Amino acid sequence: MSSISELYDVCWEEMRDKLRKWREENYRNSEQIVDVGEELINEHASKLGDDVWIIYEQVMIAALDCSRDDLAWSCLQELKRQFPDSHRVKRLAGMRLEALERYEDANKLYDSILQDDPTNTVTRKRKISILQAQGKSSEAIRELNEYLEQFVGDQEAWHELSELYINEHDYAKAAFCLEELMMTNPHNHLYCEQYAEVKYTQGGLENLELARKYFAQALKLNNRNMRALFGLYMSASHIAASPKVSAKVKKDNVKYAAWATSQISRAYQVRGTQECTLGVFPVRLEDSCHTLLMEPPLL
Amino acid sequence: MAHLLLDSSIRLWVVLPIVFITFFVGVLRHYITQLIHNDKKVDLQQVSDSQVLLRSRILRENGKYLPKQSFAMRKHYFNNPETGFFKKVKRKVIPKNPMTDPSTLMDMMKGNLTNVLPMILIGGWINWAFSGFVTTKVPFPLTLRFKPMLQRGIELISLDASWVSSASWYFLNVFGLRSMYTLILGQDNAADQSRIMQDQMTGAAMAMPPDPNKAFKSEWESLEIVEHKWALENVEEELMQLQYKTTLF
Repeated sequence: MSSISELYDVCWEEMRDKLRKWREENYRNSEQIVDVGEELINEHASKLGDDVWIIYEQVMIAALDCSRDDLAWSCLQELKRQFPDSHRVKRLAGMRLEALERYEDANKLYDSILQDDPTNTVTRKRKISILQAQGKSSEAIRELNEYLEQFVGDQEAWHELSELYINEHDYAKAAFCLEELMMTNPHNHLYCEQYAEVKYTQGGLENLELARKYFAQALKLNNRNMRALFGLYMSASHIAASPKVSAKVKKDNVKYAAWATSQISRAYQVRGTQECTLGVFPVRLEDSCHTLLMEPPLL
Repeated sequence: MAHLLLDSSIRLWVVLPIVFITFFVGVLRHYITQLIHNDKKVDLQQVSDSQVLLRSRILRENGKYLPKQSFAMRKHYFNNPETGFFKKVKRKVIPKNPMTDPSTLMDMMKGNLTNVLPMILIGGWINWAFSGFVTTKVPFPLTLRFKPMLQRGIELISLDASWVSSASWYFLNVFGLRSMYTLILGQDNAADQSRIMQDQMTGAAMAMPPDPNKAFKSEWESLEIVEHKWALENVEEELMQLQYKTTLF
């Protein structure tokens, strides 16, 4: 089995820099991390200096992801030897117990950390993820709510809570969580788009209007967001097709939908797809807009 | 303007040694501070309160991106006369007397020890060892008021105030080597004295101000006057205008 450095012809410094890049940008390519990291640790540990400890941590977490308990155990031993009283290392030990599905032991370990340091947010979040792993989603939601009452600024937690609510189909509360995220990150087009999708799923005229507005905002922030473009088209055409709207609103929405259609077809043209089905697709969109405009206004 | 020619041995034996002394003392201070520094124990309540205040401030700044209903809901949560957070929550404030509270006393002492004491000691030694002659000239003209301050030990009435003694060169170095420390010790180093003085002046940056109630009250007032002007009012029109100017894909 050839090593990474032979396969890709890289030296150990490049491997170390690659690991740093993955660490800083929060990549979750665990198999790659395990391959590169394992070789780095086994062959070049002495050359890494103080970096080796953070690499141990990174590789250990990736090893847990890939079920490589042997590697995780050896990394943990090294870290324990170097930092015997560290909360961070204890938390890693807890994560290993979680990976082995020994949830009771993991919980006990986390509780001992929290007794020492009640402000340790990472440990509290691990406890919540244990509940999620066990499938107790309503308890997880409750715990996460309590956590967020104390730490309102934790954006990762708000996002997680919004996902939990979406899984429970509680769209109103999911929308609230996404609003928190939009408030703290007003220029992130993905949060706008997710919020718009939740509003669209909730349904109802007001929510469709909000959805359309937030899809447009997402496009304003990033005009390459195809999902938002499709979302804009869907919400605009739904509003236009609804019997309860006034003629002006209907006209406006048909205009928006037509505009969205033209943008979508242009996007596909630029992409260079030659298939007939896709060639037909934009035309049919324009047809349906045309028919909406032709419908007599319902009073 | 008096053109003075200084002995070049001043440069060799005074100017450069002072630079090196200041630099190495600074590096030493950095490591000693790291050794005797103990982690500040943060209070859960304080962390929670500071995050709440941050959220309220963000609501004021970015509330215009939220729908009107959501903004009103959050403003109501904070400011409602009966059940609003800022109105209802009163924190018990123990005025932390810096003299009697042992932990802050220790921190103050440590800070003094590592920062002020070396400065005084070395400043005094330089003043004693390198006194009686002119060291260097500052490149800009100074008024006569600066003479007694910058020309300690040189009793010449006719000398331009731009010529300074070694003590002032030392102080210049203390502040000037800041960027050198950043280069060598990395950001956030304890040898950076001007930053420490800045910290002492602005008070606690991360931790809550000693009186959370006052902070709540001022936040309540600021939130009260904020109106919701929805930024997304005409977003579709703006979007379509934007696209006419640039090509989409």
